[in-house]
Amino acid sequence: MSEVTRRPATGPAAASPGEVPTIWTTGWTDIFNTGTWRAATPIHEWRSSPCHTDCPIGNTIPGWIANIREGAYQEAWLALVETNPFPAVTGRVCHHPCEGHCNREVIETVVGINGLEHFLGDRALEEGWALPAPVGSQGKRVAVVGGGPAGLSCAYHLRRLGYDVTVFEARDELGGLLRYGIPEYRLAAGVVDAEIARLLDLGIEVRLGAPVADAAELEALEAEYDAVFLGVGAQQAKMLAHLEDGAGAGRVLDGLEYLRRCTEGVARDLGERMTVIGGGSAAMDVARSARRLGHTVSVVALESRATMPAQPEEIEQALEEGVALFDGAMVAAVEAGADGGLMLNCVKVTLDLGAPAGELRPVPVEGGEFALAADVIVTAIGQDPDLAAFGDGLAVERALLLTEPTTLATSRAGVFAGGDVASVDRFVSEAIGAGRRAAYSIAEYLNHPDACIPERPKLEDSVNRTEVNPFYFETTERRERVVAPAAERLTGFDETISAYSTEDATAEAGRCMSCGFCVQCDNCFVFCPDMAVQKDASAAGAESAAPSASEGAPATAPPAGVRVTAAVPCVGAPPDSGPFYFVLDQYCKGCGLCVTECPRGAVRLEQVNL
Amino acid sequence: MHTYELDEQKVFNSGHNACPGCGEALAVRYVLNTMGPNTIGVIPPSCIAIISGPQPYSSMRIPVYQTTLEASAASAAGISRALKRQGKHDVNVLALAGDGGTYDIGFQALSGAAERNEDMVYVCLDNEGYMNTGAQKSSSTPYLAVTSSTPGGKPSDKKDIAEIMAAHRIPYVATATVGYPDDLARKVAKARDMKGMRFIVVLTPCLDGWGVADDGAVRVSRLAVDTGFFPLYEVEDGERYTINHGPKGIPVERYLEQQKRYRHLDEDQVKEIQAGVDHRWSLLQARVESMAGQARIR
Amino acid sequence: MSATVATPRRSPPANQAPAPGDLRLLLSGNHAVSYGAMRARPEVVPIYPITPQTPIAEKISDLQLAGDFDVDLMTAESEHSAMSACITASLTGVRVFTATASQGLFLMHEMLHYASGARAPIVMVNVNRTIGSPWGFWPDQTDSLAQRDTGWIQYYTENGQESLDTVIQAFKVAEEVLLPAMVVHEAFYVSHALEPVTVPSQERVDAYLPRFDPPHKLDTEIGESWGNVVNQDMFYRHRKDLGAAMNQVLEASVRADADYKDAMGRGYGILEKYRTEDADMLIVAFGAMVGSARVAVDMLRAAGKAVGLLKIKLFRPFPVEAVRAAVAGVPRLVVMERNFSPGGGGVLHQELKAALYGMPDPPAVHGYLAGVGGVNVSPKKIVELAEKALTDEPVPDSVWQR
Ligand SMILES: Cc1cc2nc3c(=O)[nH]c(=O)nc-3n(C[C@H](O)[C@H](O)[C@H](O)COP(=O)(O)OP(=O)(O)OC[C@H]3O[C@@H](n4cnc5c(N)ncnc54)[C@H](O)[C@@H]3O)c2cc1C
Ligand SMILES: Cc1ncc(C[n+]2csc(CCOP(=O)(O)OP(=O)(O)O)c2C)c(N)n1
Ligand code: SF4
Ligand code: SF4
Ligand code: SF4
Ligand SMILES: [Mg+2]
Repeated sequence: MSEVTRRPATGPAAASPGEVPTIWTTGWTDIFNTGTWRAATPIHEWRSSPCHTDCPIGNTIPGWIANIREGAYQEAWLALVETNPFPAVTGRVCHHPCEGHCNREVIETVVGINGLEHFLGDRALEEGWALPAPVGSQGKRVAVVGGGPAGLSCAYHLRRLGYDVTVFEARDELGGLLRYGIPEYRLAAGVVDAEIARLLDLGIEVRLGAPVADAAELEALEAEYDAVFLGVGAQQAKMLAHLEDGAGAGRVLDGLEYLRRCTEGVARDLGERMTVIGGGSAAMDVARSARRLGHTVSVVALESRATMPAQPEEIEQALEEGVALFDGAMVAAVEAGADGGLMLNCVKVTLDLGAPAGELRPVPVEGGEFALAADVIVTAIGQDPDLAAFGDGLAVERALLLTEPTTLATSRAGVFAGGDVASVDRFVSEAIGAGRRAAYSIAEYLNHPDACIPERPKLEDSVNRTEVNPFYFETTERRERVVAPAAERLTGFDETISAYSTEDATAEAGRCMSCGFCVQCDNCFVFCPDMAVQKDASAAGAESAAPSASEGAPATAPPAGVRVTAAVPCVGAPPDSGPFYFVLDQYCKGCGLCVTECPRGAVRLEQVNL
Repeated sequence: MHTYELDEQKVFNSGHNACPGCGEALAVRYVLNTMGPNTIGVIPPSCIAIISGPQPYSSMRIPVYQTTLEASAASAAGISRALKRQGKHDVNVLALAGDGGTYDIGFQALSGAAERNEDMVYVCLDNEGYMNTGAQKSSSTPYLAVTSSTPGGKPSDKKDIAEIMAAHRIPYVATATVGYPDDLARKVAKARDMKGMRFIVVLTPCLDGWGVADDGAVRVSRLAVDTGFFPLYEVEDGERYTINHGPKGIPVERYLEQQKRYRHLDEDQVKEIQAGVDHRWSLLQARVESMAGQARIR
Repeated sequence: MSATVATPRRSPPANQAPAPGDLRLLLSGNHAVSYGAMRARPEVVPIYPITPQTPIAEKISDLQLAGDFDVDLMTAESEHSAMSACITASLTGVRVFTATASQGLFLMHEMLHYASGARAPIVMVNVNRTIGSPWGFWPDQTDSLAQRDTGWIQYYTENGQESLDTVIQAFKVAEEVLLPAMVVHEAFYVSHALEPVTVPSQERVDAYLPRFDPPHKLDTEIGESWGNVVNQDMFYRHRKDLGAAMNQVLEASVRADADYKDAMGRGYGILEKYRTEDADMLIVAFGAMVGSARVAVDMLRAAGKAVGLLKIKLFRPFPVEAVRAAVAGVPRLVVMERNFSPGGGGVLHQELKAALYGMPDPPAVHGYLAGVGGVNVSPKKIVELAEKALTDEPVPDSVWQR
């Protein structure tokens, strides 16, 4: 906006000195202080969106989605890898809790965040984009034990913070369950390889086939390195003893073992009929892998279909692929079958709602007995960490390494842990997020000058559905990724889901309302009847920040200051394209129009304390 | 995602004394900042006369003359004629009057100026009542709305000023509101760049007079449009109709319930208002259709 | 104060030879006004017709059509709008003229205050006409006298020549003091009576009346606004300033008239004494009555009666000092006037008494309501009334006479 200035006229209408002329104006109202009328003050701030809050990694989702919208894909990806070094992986396998409370639901349905992440992840691999180089060197060394997502995420962030990192991996290859657990048709090995290779390009030392096997070796690491991160995962499958007795002996396999054999191509000669026990992702992976290898597969799960931990689409696809599901049921006993196979005596169950959290207590339903014939049983009912090797030196609780929730510090100073080894939230994104948080925590422990630990915002503080203004968004159908038809899927282990096309990604990104994340739409500025919302001069470029008052009038109030909520206000914080708007105290009457008309809850009204 | 791109010139100033969240102040912002500094304004007694500032200060960086309640159009005509005599053909003349000063007491001057096709942009800031004098009814007050002079609800309908002005066959008539600022600004810019009599009626919620929340002016004015209560349209030369924003299938009740002046309505009255809205909308559509493609006859 | 009083003479200079460039035309009073307006070169004339003003508007239209009068004639839809447009056009910085009568003037009433409040130097001719109801078309000064508090300068003229000359002078005074001015003449007796009139040449008028260029105006280059709300103190001072400007009018009018006389050879003063030497009584009149009174005075003098005439030309501001000087030593005055303020009487009668209040040895004052409603008051009738006034004892109230 350009200022209009005038020459004052002189003539007989001018009053005598010291007197206000009674006719013809001499100046403008911007000398008045209408801000004193205010009972509440609008504050522009970067507020957490529910998707950001729900993302275990802390991805600044609305930020990079905005970049996608603008077609700035590399920028988007760079914003994403600020938190998550594995977007191609999570874009495929993340359980995407970020979509759980997405505010877009007020318009029609949640945004396909996971699909967008997938799109960016693949685009980066196609383009061969490199991760940002480390900033300086802290001259300190950190040992990371375990080369799964938790360990690699931790290594990545530590490296970027300027630490020398060595990863110790027991196996011959990095990746943990990404490589040995999740089947190829969901996550191709090539994707895992490529994202890991790119990460290692930052200059991370790797020791393969190098298990940290006992307490002594851990102590040696502690001595040699300034800090240690344990991301060894949960490798010990839980077993069901009552199935392995008698007829079942030798015919019960654990799911991890089965999947590992699949990846190695040696899973076939187990007999025709397979029963998988379990209701989670692992059970689905076993069942669907087995279908691809020609087995007839039934799944027996304690939970009802609706409450099974597996993702609904996984169950859906398993059924499409011909898996028979017996939900709300359990295998009570195993007998030898007439055909040389096994006869599984099953019963329908309900779950005791009074059971302690995390524990399943099945109650058989009377008359719910049925039988299944099988040649092999695969159990996929979870794993526990193998903590015995580390001896008594580390505190353990409920079969997990005990860590302090914020710092992820174990009971031993300088030793941190995260991922499956320390958490019941067994998800790739949880592991990556834990690795990230641990890296900042380690940095803080090592007195990094700017690092602090990213807080996880709370849902109640995040922008909620009443704070977005639906007027500004048009109903637009959600784009879905294309899933190959079941028949095609069953022909092998090729990936079954294709990433968004650029067009789909752009359209889907267009659906994101950018909750709490100012996109400089100018609404707050446009709708202020008092012209009290101003744009920051430096951000806005040439224009001046405050209106220059009329001659002789006091200068307008300085910018009230931009407050940014502490989502991650430290190294590793999202690039703060942030609000460059501010409110002029002198004029704002506190009506709240800017707050209401901000489409995305990026302005908040705070009561003035009088 | 919707964003507004307004090309604003800084003509309207902060520090004015409109109520917090005032819809009229917002409208004036868009109008003045679109008209630009090369404009002379005329304002009759109304809320905007107060908003324009106490002597010796003005909230408007243009020369403004405050005239009498019934004279806005005539006063504006005097300026525009004088400007022509001075050879200042590029200076815009803008009348900013309330609904009382337009629909009622100032109507004669307005109609006369329209008939003479006086060169001005006349903007009626329609807050549907005499708000400056304490929210009495005007002929713009809608059916059944409570005002301080119709405590039981106004028994007669709102006058259709846009149609009346269109019937003068002036170059430009438009309806607009603050909930659609880009539409409003576009119309003002379009009017500004034309010659002759241009008339825009802008629905500007009066928070106090209507009983609307401080942050509600934009929401309410938008609902007025989206429920079909106040469709946004333009008429060129009295015959070329363009509807810009019509009802979006939202019941008028959503609009009424935002305002205390309608709080007394019973179900049947709401239905009656809805029927009126539907009827007027169908009439407008019929007019658009019947006028479509007609050549201009002078 | 001598300059305020014009040299006594019998009648308007009817047979005066025109100066080079001047026109000598047979014109009605109204058409004379149109010519006067033309010479003053107003840029905008917002106008609305009403009998008996219409010939003014019509003649301006004709002159405009003929290409003699380059003006924007705004055919307003009412006098209220006409005056509204006058004010803003004037404030925009151009010269403005208009004309009206009776009901039209009343419809303007609100805007008359706005005009003076805005210090807009508009010149308007009002043709006095009876005010409704009932409906009538007769000469009667009540319409303009009812506007005496509106802050307008008021001149009352007795014939077309004077009206023409006064229009031009009025611009000069109005633009100097920044107040609007009304030039008033009566219906039919003046407005429609044909007389030979001298129309001064454009060059001479241009030399007399420079371009209007006010320091304050509605101008986007200046950016000042006019009329925002004031506080009590500002309003008080504003009114006081307006009063001061009004007071300036006395001197400015005298000067404008003297300059006019120098330039055009005609002058009127702000009042006129006619055959007042050694008078036992003066007839005090304004407007058309003055012409008849002049003849009556001649008749009275011929009959040996020492009666003179005092013509009040400038009525607002009321020239108190000049009037007092003019009547000093005269034992008796008789006001004859064609207007009536119910409950008050003759307006000039009241004004005159107020002006003389506190004067040493004040004259006795008769107030005669003669000619109200346009009733003919012939010179013979005036003689009759004067003789009555010479013998009757004056009473405080105005007395109906016919
Ligand atoms: C079949 C299956 C499917 C799954 N599908 C999904 C899914 O779709 N989405 C999802 O979000 N999650 C899924 N999960 C869970 C997810 O894979 C894990 O939560 C995640 O991989 C945990 O990461 P981590 O780094 O903690 O452990 P891991 O991935 O287990 O990695 C631990 C690494 O440490 C190494 N290691 C172990 N002990 C030592 C030692 N002493 N010294 C050195 N190295 C050691 C291991 O070899 C391994 O490489 C699935 C899990 C399974 C089993
Ligand atoms: C001739 C005249 N009558 C009455 C008034 C008192 N008056 C001042 S503002 C106003 C109401 C004007 O209403 P509107 O034009 O709708 O403007 P608003 O106050 O609603 O903005 C009235 C009646 C006046 N100023 N002049
Ligand atoms: S709309 Fe966008 S920012 Fe808002 S919750 Fe959904 S994905 Fe996140
Ligand atoms: S819209 Fe303007 S006045 Fe109202 S709260 Fe926001 S900044 Fe303040
Ligand atoms: S209204 Fe727009 S510009 Fe203002 S804070 Fe919200 S998103 Fe940012
Ligand atoms: Mg109003």
